[in-house]
Amino acid sequence: MIESVNTGALDLAPVWLTLKLSAVTVAVLLVLSLPLAWWLAFTRSKFKVPVEAVTALPLVLPPTVLGFYLLVFLGPNGPAGQFWNSIAGHPLAFSFTGLVIASCLYSLPFVVQPLQAAFESLDRKAVEAAWTLGANTLRTFFTIIIPQARRGFLIAIVLGFAHTMGEFGVVLMVGGNIPDETQVVSIAIYEQVEMLNFQAAEQLSTGLLVFSFLVLVMVYSINRQWGRGLKA
Amino acid sequence: MSRILIDVKLRRDDFSLSCELDMPGKGVMAILGPSGSGKTTLLRLIAGLEKADQGSIRVNGHRWLDTANSECLSPQKRKVGMVFQDYALFDHLTVAQNIGYGLPRKQRKQSVKKWVGRFHLESLEHRYPNELSGGQRQRVALARALAPEPDILLLDEPFSAVDVPLREKLRIQLQEIVSTLDQPVMMVTHDLEEARYLADHIAVMVNGQVCRHGFTNKVFNDPGSYEVAKILGWRNFIQVKSICPDSVAGDWGELVLDREISPNTDWLAIRPYHIRIANESQDGIDAEVLQVREMGALREMECRLNDGTSLVMQSPWNDPLLAPGSRIRLNLPLQHVRALFEGTAVNIVAKKKTMVIPISGIVYNSARNGAILPLEKHPSLTQERISNLTES
Repeated sequence: MIESVNTGALDLAPVWLTLKLSAVTVAVLLVLSLPLAWWLAFTRSKFKVPVEAVTALPLVLPPTVLGFYLLVFLGPNGPAGQFWNSIAGHPLAFSFTGLVIASCLYSLPFVVQPLQAAFESLDRKAVEAAWTLGANTLRTFFTIIIPQARRGFLIAIVLGFAHTMGEFGVVLMVGGNIPDETQVVSIAIYEQVEMLNFQAAEQLSTGLLVFSFLVLVMVYSINRQWGRGLKA
Repeated sequence: MSRILIDVKLRRDDFSLSCELDMPGKGVMAILGPSGSGKTTLLRLIAGLEKADQGSIRVNGHRWLDTANSECLSPQKRKVGMVFQDYALFDHLTVAQNIGYGLPRKQRKQSVKKWVGRFHLESLEHRYPNELSGGQRQRVALARALAPEPDILLLDEPFSAVDVPLREKLRIQLQEIVSTLDQPVMMVTHDLEEARYLADHIAVMVNGQVCRHGFTNKVFNDPGSYEVAKILGWRNFIQVKSICPDSVAGDWGELVLDREISPNTDWLAIRPYHIRIANESQDGIDAEVLQVREMGALREMECRLNDGTSLVMQSPWNDPLLAPGSRIRLNLPLQHVRALFEGTAVNIVAKKKTMVIPISGIVYNSARNGAILPLEKHPSLTQERISNLTES
């Protein structure tokens, strides 16, 4: 029987790959989203609305649509794909790097929007108070703005991480199903089910479920404790 | 040079500020004015949180702004201590961390200890701002602003975040603190009592301009213009329609003067507690008692003059009580009567008053068009008054 063949050795590689992808994606997104969210929160430019709309597009687009365009763009004949091929020697599509780029676009609104909301609700006077006390921009950012916007950061990190962990359509389009390179948990589960290997699928699913639940419980409890210091 | 010299202009879509101030580099200066008059903006300009279109700011010899030489120091370099309206304490830092924020790392511990002691915050060092009372928060904000030893302390409505019963206590506390400071203090307020209690100097702002500034008592006692007088709590105004060297008149009657007053005078003002009921030998203005209000030790009486102007007078509670409707004559002691011009600044008021120049006793000089006209054509002189003038 097929079931009995695979039960013994559950392949954990997709799990590690998923965690790695989520972590890298969140890290890259934080760096990219910070200036974008800051700009969106404070700009009076007429481009604010179009930029906001573009940022939110991944929320409404079917992942396959996003995946399709990314595949065209990152694929061997796409501009980014060709460029990447010329410097790295392999195309972007169906590689971990390509997956990171796709995940970043896919999870962008989940990181930008909480950050933007956090910046918008910053106590401007506290920032100005820091300036009058001699703090430069960098010090103000790290000692006043980040602590004030910490909930926004936390929500951005968690949502970005969780959303990347759960992505399927985009990964399938852009990454395919290459073990150790692009085979994330959601794809692995799908594959196991296709192979009628329900036990492995169930183990992976349960693992993902428990992990997600624990992360969220941890985050909310931290958020609760931090919140106490903020309420007047 | 121990002075604060400010001369700034700023224009925004719906607001413009043009402000000149020259004040001593020590003591407390209050900026008074209605909301929207630009008080807080002026404070922010000084702190560098708002950028002036043109002008200069010098504080005790330090040049902070000079647009002519393209100089504009950032708020970080200005050495201002600013206490914001709601204190803007850092909620995620303890009291000690808040106070130490503006201090160099090396001297932080020692200096925080000093300021904690000076502001009686010893037991609160490790608390967070949201665990403090209003008064304690104010003390922390003051200590935080003063710890880096700024060149000037700026206070934006220091009591607006506090309940009324607590204000008086805090006012006394703040007075004790600022009286010991070496730095000049500039505070923005719309509370007259606060300004009077705390400030050595005041500046009155209306529509983005400083209309009057000087020693607190002097400005309160002689506001100069109608607008400023209203802001400074004057309540009794009598409109002047004509001025003679020895008297002024309006539809309410006439008041004989003991000195010359400015031909720009549009209004007379007097404080409620200076008005008396005239006895038979005294000059007085006819009035009718409208309402009597008992206010504890004081009694307030609202009277109406012949032209409908309402005057409020205050007298001790044990003065004889007059019934509403009684006809009385009000005596306005001349030393307490202030002459005011309309508007906020002398230069914007054209000399529009009809001046009576009794050269021949039969003509007057209409300032409206400069013509010399017969007294009969005067807009407000009674026939009786004309015959008096002609006789003299």
